[in-house]
Amino acid sequence: MMLPEFLQYPQMQRAFVIALIAGPIAGLLGTFVTLRRMSFFSDAISHAAMTGVALGFLLRLAHDMASPSMQVTLVIFCVLVALLMAWLFERTTLHTDTVIAFSYTGSVALGVVLISRLRGYRMLEEALFGDILASSPADVWIVAALGAVILGFLFLNMRALTLSVVQENLAKIEGINIRALNYGFVVLISAVVALLLRELGALLISGLIVVPAAAARVSAGNFRQMLILSACFGLVGTASGVTSSYYLDTPTGPTIVLADVVILTFCLVLARARRGKREHLQSPAGQSEAA
Amino acid sequence: MPDPLLKIENLCVSYGDHEVLQNVSLQIQRGQFACLIGPNGAGKSTLLKTIMGLVKASSGQITSHARQIGYVPQQLPLDPDLPLTVAEFLSLKLTRSRWWFGARRSLRERISAQLNEIGAAHLIDRRLGRLSGGEFQRILVAYALLNNPDLLLLDEPLTGVDIRGGLSFDGLLHHLHDHRHISILMVSHDLHLVEHLSDEVFCINRDLCCHGHPSEVLKPENLSKAYGHLQGMVVDQGGSAFIPVTSIR
Repeated sequence: MMLPEFLQYPQMQRAFVIALIAGPIAGLLGTFVTLRRMSFFSDAISHAAMTGVALGFLLRLAHDMASPSMQVTLVIFCVLVALLMAWLFERTTLHTDTVIAFSYTGSVALGVVLISRLRGYRMLEEALFGDILASSPADVWIVAALGAVILGFLFLNMRALTLSVVQENLAKIEGINIRALNYGFVVLISAVVALLLRELGALLISGLIVVPAAAARVSAGNFRQMLILSACFGLVGTASGVTSSYYLDTPTGPTIVLADVVILTFCLVLARARRGKREHLQSPAGQSEAA
Repeated sequence: MPDPLLKIENLCVSYGDHEVLQNVSLQIQRGQFACLIGPNGAGKSTLLKTIMGLVKASSGQITSHARQIGYVPQQLPLDPDLPLTVAEFLSLKLTRSRWWFGARRSLRERISAQLNEIGAAHLIDRRLGRLSGGEFQRILVAYALLNNPDLLLLDEPLTGVDIRGGLSFDGLLHHLHDHRHISILMVSHDLHLVEHLSDEVFCINRDLCCHGHPSEVLKPENLSKAYGHLQGMVVDQGGSAFIPVTSIR
């Protein structure tokens, strides 16, 4: 079978496979991130990851962004920051947005200071914007394993997560351990952010998680549709982003997020047109036209 | 005398240093329609949450002989754009496995029958966030009824519900109590409704101030024990309820 031109190159093949796995998985995860109003939480974790990158280099745990030890450092660092934030939400009187704001700005500031000590502004660019085309075959396996873990978590906790979106007390009455669920969820978000940082960068990861889910939310008539559409929009966004970046000669990560934004814009326009039509049909003029 | 359906003995509950309930003892008999009244912050909702195991008691004992307890929480602040439909929400209660993926066709019949009973069959495919206060309250009752409870706890079910919705809700409670023989413990500020529906009233303000038949309890001298010095009673919109007033400035 003849592959399309852009898939003739191994780095494009790897980028495409990663995109096909990461897109729908991030979209599905994004459903619960947006409904639990945690969009800025994933953003804060992705920015905290910059400090993780700097620490990885500074403590000589890794020599470059691609090394497995850097991935491990990032996962550990992001999970620790996420757990600290979750603990602050639970145990202090600070508002959620306050905790996110200080974690966000504090970690960016620390990351930039540490990176400046390393005189590694090239690293800063890589951490901020990522480079999916630099992915190795090992990265493909890591993303695939990550996808399996996320799917497993969602599969085992779908009922609990959905019920807790309505009200945590209703979930508790059903015997669901809300504390474990919440901590498990933040650990999962931080693992996703840490492992996709190299591909998409700190500035763009949360777009991959939040934007397809937001598009699905404005388009879906029920919850099942929202889950399906989030995964589909995530898949279409990443696949079309990688493909367009090749033909348009644009950076791949930002093109993926732009593709997601185009999908969201299209869904918003469509939802508005649908609402306008419904309002027209309900108006006296619309009813007389129908008659 | 048969064992009470629910027996609460010397219950104390604290949030940190603040004691919300102090040595509360009460009993709900099978078939009873009981109401909990008291001022804001008196511990009424906390009492229901403690019965449901949502709040931990610092001391005391709760003994339940109920087969199942249904719980209708206070009006929930819901995201109006949450795409969860009524059928999907109710299917969450009926699904026993950890995996859930919308309202399965096999569950729709049961959901439909439950909604029919409470006069809300037309809401089955409506989004939860788009329901009115009264409609949503009915759906919460349907949710609580799905596991066939013999005791139903309702926490201020008429908050934010208009007069018409309140009257039809009143009929629903009558139906559940008289026809399905469900014992009910309801928190309410609407003393008119309490007088009209209940056969036992518990008046609490951290501790149990008084209890008995509504005709005995709903007297100014008893209410002043819970609400403090009563300046009078006011009748709210359209005369649907009367509310004790502790101070008028």
